[in-house]
Amino acid sequence: MKRRQLLQGAAASAALGPWVHTLAQDRYAKYKGQTIVVNYPAHPHYDQAEKLFAEFTAETGIKVERDKMQYLRMKDKQVLEMGKRGNGDYDVAVYVVMWKTEYVKKDLLEPLDGYFANKALADPGWDQKDIIGKYWETNALVGGPKMYLPGPGARPYGIPFGAETGVLAYRTDILEKHKIAVPKTYNDLLSACRVIKDKEGIGGLTSRGQTGHQVTAAWLLHLTPHGGEVFDSNWRAAFNNAQGVRAAEILKEIVDTGPAGIPSYGFGEMQNAFLQGQAAMYLDSVAIMGPVQDPAKSRIAGKVGYAVHPKGTQHSAQSGGFAMAIPKNARNKDAAFLFMQWMTSKQADLKIAMSGGNINRWSTLDNADVGKKYALELPALRESLKIANPDWRPLIPEWDHISQQIIGQALPDVITGRKPAKQALDAAVKAAEDAVRQGGWLKS
Amino acid sequence: MTSARLARLTPYIYILPAVLVMLAGLMYPILSAVQLSFYDWSLGTDFETARFVGLDAFVEMLKSEQVWTSMGVTVAFVLIAVSAELVLGVALALFLEKPVRGMRFFRTIFVLPMMIAPICVGLIWRYLFDANFGPVNHAVSWMGLSPQAWLADPVLAFTAMVVTDIWQWTPFVLIMVLAGLQGLDESVMEAARIDGANWWQQIVRVKLPILKPILIVTLLARMIDGFRGLEVIYVMTFGGPGLSTELFSLHIFKAAFISQKLGYSSALSILLLVIVSALSIAILLISNPLKTKARR
Amino acid sequence: MSNPETVPRGSPLHYLMLTLLATSCLLPLVIMTMTSLKTEAQIFDTQWSWLFAPTLDNYRSVVQDNHIERYMLNSLKVSLAATLITLMLGTMCAYAMARFRFLGREPLSYSTLILRTLPPAVLAVPVFVIWSAWGIGDTLSGVVLVYVALNLPFTIWLLYGFIDQLPIELEEAAAIDGCGPFKVFYKIVLPLLKPGLAAAAIFTFRLAWNEFILSFILTNRITRTLPASISNYITDTGVEWGKIMAAGVLIALPPLIFTFVAAKQIITGLTAGAVKG
Repeated sequence: MKRRQLLQGAAASAALGPWVHTLAQDRYAKYKGQTIVVNYPAHPHYDQAEKLFAEFTAETGIKVERDKMQYLRMKDKQVLEMGKRGNGDYDVAVYVVMWKTEYVKKDLLEPLDGYFANKALADPGWDQKDIIGKYWETNALVGGPKMYLPGPGARPYGIPFGAETGVLAYRTDILEKHKIAVPKTYNDLLSACRVIKDKEGIGGLTSRGQTGHQVTAAWLLHLTPHGGEVFDSNWRAAFNNAQGVRAAEILKEIVDTGPAGIPSYGFGEMQNAFLQGQAAMYLDSVAIMGPVQDPAKSRIAGKVGYAVHPKGTQHSAQSGGFAMAIPKNARNKDAAFLFMQWMTSKQADLKIAMSGGNINRWSTLDNADVGKKYALELPALRESLKIANPDWRPLIPEWDHISQQIIGQALPDVITGRKPAKQALDAAVKAAEDAVRQGGWLKS
Repeated sequence: MTSARLARLTPYIYILPAVLVMLAGLMYPILSAVQLSFYDWSLGTDFETARFVGLDAFVEMLKSEQVWTSMGVTVAFVLIAVSAELVLGVALALFLEKPVRGMRFFRTIFVLPMMIAPICVGLIWRYLFDANFGPVNHAVSWMGLSPQAWLADPVLAFTAMVVTDIWQWTPFVLIMVLAGLQGLDESVMEAARIDGANWWQQIVRVKLPILKPILIVTLLARMIDGFRGLEVIYVMTFGGPGLSTELFSLHIFKAAFISQKLGYSSALSILLLVIVSALSIAILLISNPLKTKARR
Repeated sequence: MSNPETVPRGSPLHYLMLTLLATSCLLPLVIMTMTSLKTEAQIFDTQWSWLFAPTLDNYRSVVQDNHIERYMLNSLKVSLAATLITLMLGTMCAYAMARFRFLGREPLSYSTLILRTLPPAVLAVPVFVIWSAWGIGDTLSGVVLVYVALNLPFTIWLLYGFIDQLPIELEEAAAIDGCGPFKVFYKIVLPLLKPGLAAAAIFTFRLAWNEFILSFILTNRITRTLPASISNYITDTGVEWGKIMAAGVLIALPPLIFTFVAAKQIITGLTAGAVKG
């Protein structure tokens, strides 16, 4: 009896091997030949992800149509598309984390828990816990406290992909030349900027600065490290208090000692100034790591060191980036989910990381080959992930408008020297409070 | 159908398709814009959920500091750019008025800038004014002056916007004025010369008055174009830094597609429509090309 | 009209001025072309050089990676359709206005003149909403419709001016010979209208080909036209100037060709009606 059972067991497991494999094929079988349309940004991480599209099609039979756009213009198109009655054009829409609550509030996205629970679609090897926790919390979850934080009520509406935290990158040769220690605090950072500007003649720190979303993002980087916040717990404006003003003044100093033209810099220009040697330091998304090593883009490969975001009164780094989601009016939702799951699987994440994209998973972070390729970068990345702060900006549905049209219009006057920081920020209080009042957050 | 009946219906048959298209493509959208301006409607939601708010959007518009700033920027842009183009265009036309061999070739070149897509113009000049790699700064350094972050400073960005417009449209003014001068009767000039008028008097007393109608038409056409301008600045600065280059058409676009307030942006566009229509009525009053009566 | 033989040679100063002007017109376009032929490293070089080893990589990239041939085809279809339809509708309407007296002639004429100056920004939101409701959002026909509507006022007015100039005796003679009104239009008037038609065609094509805002709103990635696609190159990943300029050159090419082939018609179109007599 026992032997027969054993034999049956052995036969079963022998058969199970290929069957598990076939299960995987079965998962995709129903969708072979379908075409999905993916809307994604022109961004270093997605430049690498694109390279895997062909492999995905080869393995699953699902074809991928690309719609690549500038990331700040994606929202206009996405809202137009996803708001249509009947079917919209996009099956997968990549959102910037700033838009997640607005999209969910307007009921434009499919909640994903149903797909993950669907045995016919879900990949048992996918392992959600392997996705870096901070990224999952910041980019995927909507519906929790304040609508954007993890906690009771939060559900996943997107899968983080191209998620990022912040890091300080610096030119080892320049810091060494002027005997500057790697900046650990903001005072270190600012004095390094002054020295580099005076003695080396290039910019100290490159930064975003363009009117609208970009200048607000730049200011936010320095806000939470000084204990500041945009709104207080009662949703009254707090960005014009002492910490908010300090952050704005720090930004102005960075602009003054930085490369020429920061007030018109978007993400690309900021990155470029560092990669082309016009600024000695960079403090923003980890997406810089891949391009630094790319000889087609960078003149500084091999001369760069990484450290954690400097400390103000506390340590706090940005957390955010992109996530992939399924519009409610998508035509091929299941195939879309399969695509998203495949692109964020352990294997795909490893490949993307090895070719220079962002790292999404702990397993990738711990992988030996990745460790070798990014020996310089990983220690800083690990430390940064520890201090990454999902609450470094209030991602309420009204945030995009506040960031672009209110705070984003007040800060340019500060960095171009036209108005003192306190005055500019004070002037924005009314509009900001009107916005949160309209959104139902501020009750007064 | 009798041939007399057909003859009477003929004009209506001729105009019908065009009128239908203009009604559907222009009038109906304009009327919709008026209707939309009374609602608070957010992009991506159903129209059924939009609130009727009456004149709230117009009130908000008139109270908005951003709207007045943008209008101010647009008016300043129109006044400065158009004056510069007119002065330059007239001066050049007076200098180059004598027809010379090879003029046809040059005139062809002068037509080029206005034929290029506005979006291309915006791109080219954004590159030219780039703070780090743009040729303008290369030229400036070569001349020994210090390079500027053109598109990063409010005043310089505005200047860059004006320069771009002057580049694109001065040739147009030049061509128009040259055409106007060609209609000039030689005998009038001869008479003035005989009367002892000197070079300056000839220009001011004889040529300019004759040019008046074409100058006014050109002026108003350029002004209207200035108010309509959107594509060049969309690409060059997108309104920044701050609101220093926020032309009114761009402000409308941003209200609709960035702030996603469709009702409010419709109110803004009504304002723009009123301004532009007033200017075009002014053109009509001055030089009405329809004074000829119908011949049949 | 001056006799070509008596057109004098200008003074050197005159030609110097003309050359300077021409250079300033051409220089930005030349730089655009140069940049489209440079590699990224050459573009970001801090030294400016007029001489460099050109490369076609940018063009290769926009064609292969970015479906630019699809966008060019869309632009071509839209521009040709819009031009043809505008000419047909516009000529007929202008003829009726010039030669007939009918109810509504005055209001039609004045509205045409005022509508000529309509800012596209005013149309953006309503057209998007209405076209979606009518089911023609994201279609090329939708784009053609709005372009025809935008171009008709100017075309009608332009052709009206030309028809007005034609001596009516020819048409009267044909009518006496027994030609019906339609035949008079096709056989007599249209052939004489060629210069006006050429000017109108060029302006309509130019607007349809160059237009960006409305096509950006009204097209999706399949129906997108060339100018709308260019906004996708304004990326945030290290401004790809080489590729943007390559796309820009492709957009600028047809208008450039027109200009060289038909400058005379363009100038005629511009000045028609503005200059008396």
